[in-house]
Amino acid sequence: MKQVRRTLPRLLRLLALTALLGTGAAQADDYTEITQLIKAGKPADALAKADQRLAANPRDPQLRFLRGVAQADSGKPADAITTFTKLTEEYPELPEPYNNLAVLYANQNQLDKARTALEMAIRTNPSYATAHENLGDIYAKLASQAYNKALQLDATNANSVKPKLALIRELFAPETAGKPGRPAAAAPATAPAVVATQRPAPPAAVAPAPAPTPAATPVPASAPSAAPAPAPAIAQAPTAAPSATPAAASDAAAVQAVTSAVQAWAAAWSAKDMQAYLGAYDKSFDPPGRQTRSAWEKEREARIVGKSKINVQLSDVTVAVNGDKATARFRQAYTADALNVTSRKTLDLVNQNGRWSIVRESTGG
Amino acid sequence: MFVELSAPSRRAAAGTLFLAALLQAAPAHAQSGKVRRAATQPSTEPADTKAPNLRDGQAETRLLAVYKLIAEGRSREALAQAETLARDYPNFQLAQLAVGDLLMSRTRPIRRMGDVPEPDTARSLQVATTLEELRNESRQRVDAQRSRPPAHSIPAQFLELSPRSRHAIAVDASRSRLYLFENTPKGLQLVADYYASVGKLGIEKSLEGDQRTPLGVYFITSRLDPATLKDFYGAGALPINYPNPLDQSRGKTGSGIWLHGTPPDQFARAPLATDGCLVLANPDLERILRTVEPRSTPVVIARQLQWVAPHAVQADRKSFDAVLNAWRNAKTQGDMNRLLGFYAPDFQSYRKKPLNEWTQVLQAETRALKGRELHLKDKSYLRWTDSADTMVVTFGEVAEGARTGPVKRQYWARRGQQWQIFFEGVIG
Repeated sequence: MKQVRRTLPRLLRLLALTALLGTGAAQADDYTEITQLIKAGKPADALAKADQRLAANPRDPQLRFLRGVAQADSGKPADAITTFTKLTEEYPELPEPYNNLAVLYANQNQLDKARTALEMAIRTNPSYATAHENLGDIYAKLASQAYNKALQLDATNANSVKPKLALIRELFAPETAGKPGRPAAAAPATAPAVVATQRPAPPAAVAPAPAPTPAATPVPASAPSAAPAPAPAIAQAPTAAPSATPAAASDAAAVQAVTSAVQAWAAAWSAKDMQAYLGAYDKSFDPPGRQTRSAWEKEREARIVGKSKINVQLSDVTVAVNGDKATARFRQAYTADALNVTSRKTLDLVNQNGRWSIVRESTGG
Repeated sequence: MFVELSAPSRRAAAGTLFLAALLQAAPAHAQSGKVRRAATQPSTEPADTKAPNLRDGQAETRLLAVYKLIAEGRSREALAQAETLARDYPNFQLAQLAVGDLLMSRTRPIRRMGDVPEPDTARSLQVATTLEELRNESRQRVDAQRSRPPAHSIPAQFLELSPRSRHAIAVDASRSRLYLFENTPKGLQLVADYYASVGKLGIEKSLEGDQRTPLGVYFITSRLDPATLKDFYGAGALPINYPNPLDQSRGKTGSGIWLHGTPPDQFARAPLATDGCLVLANPDLERILRTVEPRSTPVVIARQLQWVAPHAVQADRKSFDAVLNAWRNAKTQGDMNRLLGFYAPDFQSYRKKPLNEWTQVLQAETRALKGRELHLKDKSYLRWTDSADTMVVTFGEVAEGARTGPVKRQYWARRGQQWQIFFEGVIG
């Protein structure tokens, strides 16, 4: 069980859940509280809280999901497997429970089951990044087992290394959830409840990606943000569409500066220039999951320097500036070795002494 | 959260797999599958302990089907089939290698077949060697299917095969391939062919312990019960008569050349792997074991088989018929001078019996005929041509009025335009 506790925190992304999640405010607070307890390393308290809330709302998928995470974190993998299995049965369209089921199976070295669950997660949501990364690890592990059999090598060493997979700690892909305090206009264009079944967003012509049509989801998408994306409040300067007129000259300059900063970040990534790449992130940048800044930097370095060739191209860049804060949304075409992935990304930046640096990075948007 | 891995493009990466060059074998291969199905005969032996789907040749057929899917970019189906294959034949290393590559191709590009991550240095040599052997095995299997023998053709060695030989075997060492024929009233029909391993140092055995497989015309001498053999020999063994009289006349040494199976932990062995034996996968060897008869089944082992239409050997057969008939006439007439003219000065029979001693045998035999005509029944002519031209002749020698007679084998050598007997003996 130690294994689970050690390997789970790796890639988790924790963001405050907000009222935007689409359910009642009180319930959203519950989610937040349980999430915070998990994040704070108090899974037993989180579990108690989840159980308490579930007494009132026994069907609530979000609560049950958090309960599963709390069970996994408090050393009850069998309970967690039961919880997630039931969720997959009742909500087969949600990728997250499959992913977490896979993580738990992988920790028990049941790689075939883990693989099946991850393949289901991806079938459910083809753009689901965490499941892809996890599945990549499982494939690599299974491949090395097959290679050992092919070469008739003694595989005892290789088999003892379990793949390290990321447990998803929140339902409904938080990376697309809005951040409290963000300017209203920059509010997430997607209805969070939809995210679980989101398909890759079609390229937006000018405006930030509009909300994908809500598919059948367990949580009613009642949030007002489900409305079509409003026009940006401040400014919008898609590099690909220079026709957009900045609201004011100073804003135009700021938009220009933010755009350059973002392009420089992409260039440093492509060049595998770790100093410039990591330098693009502000001190206050919150690494995903419970990682420390240095652990996150190490992970990034391993991921980036390990590739023989990386190319990151940005398109449809739109920048919204609000004083010393800015949000850049764009389409990111990432190529590494044979991998070729296009996704939408959002960077939140702050201006420190005339230099824009990243404080938050999320996919989607 | 960084999205560095994602779905849609992955398909393409998997499709770029290793077999672009290896794999144009599809149509020929499909054909061979048909041949095989048609020829499959129900086993009279009780089903062994393995699952019934472990039929001879099937593992390779399925492996090549996986390769074909890979070549077509259908990596998802390829992986599914490779995994089933690896489950059915867990010790089939090429199947495991295909599974590994197909899985790995989902995480990174595969540059070539068996793109195993760099192993630690202690193992790297072993790994590199094994991988090279597996790639060779794969190439041999694919090549053998890509260049199938033309329909209804036979190896040129089989000039004439008596109905007493109900089956025949020919091995093409250059292709690591064993061909099994049924001798039907319409001639030799290819019924199956299998991947087969030869000696570590290749072919042309000449000395004991040289780890080479002999080349020549041989016969299966017996069938060894697997219960009496070490696991190493797998499903059983069929010894052949190396060194044969031609080998002995050339001073070749060694013994114990068998057709045998594989150890339990290994489905197939590398193309060059044995101490001189011919080694087949157990399901394939089992089929041969229950099909062929000892003593009457010839095994031709060639560097490279030459496939000819059956009528192409007709002229050679007729001309040798005439030679043998002349010998028969001389013997029938008891004309010792003329008869001895057919024998080479360096003639030896069993136990190195020289011609002057064999002359007494011949004299006794002709006297026993008492003027009756000698008939030759069930003739087989197997021609072996290397630096010399040799005819391995088998027949039943029956005097007029008698119902049976001895089965004899002669080795004839062509010296210039003349054929001479350099070995003769009774084999049954």
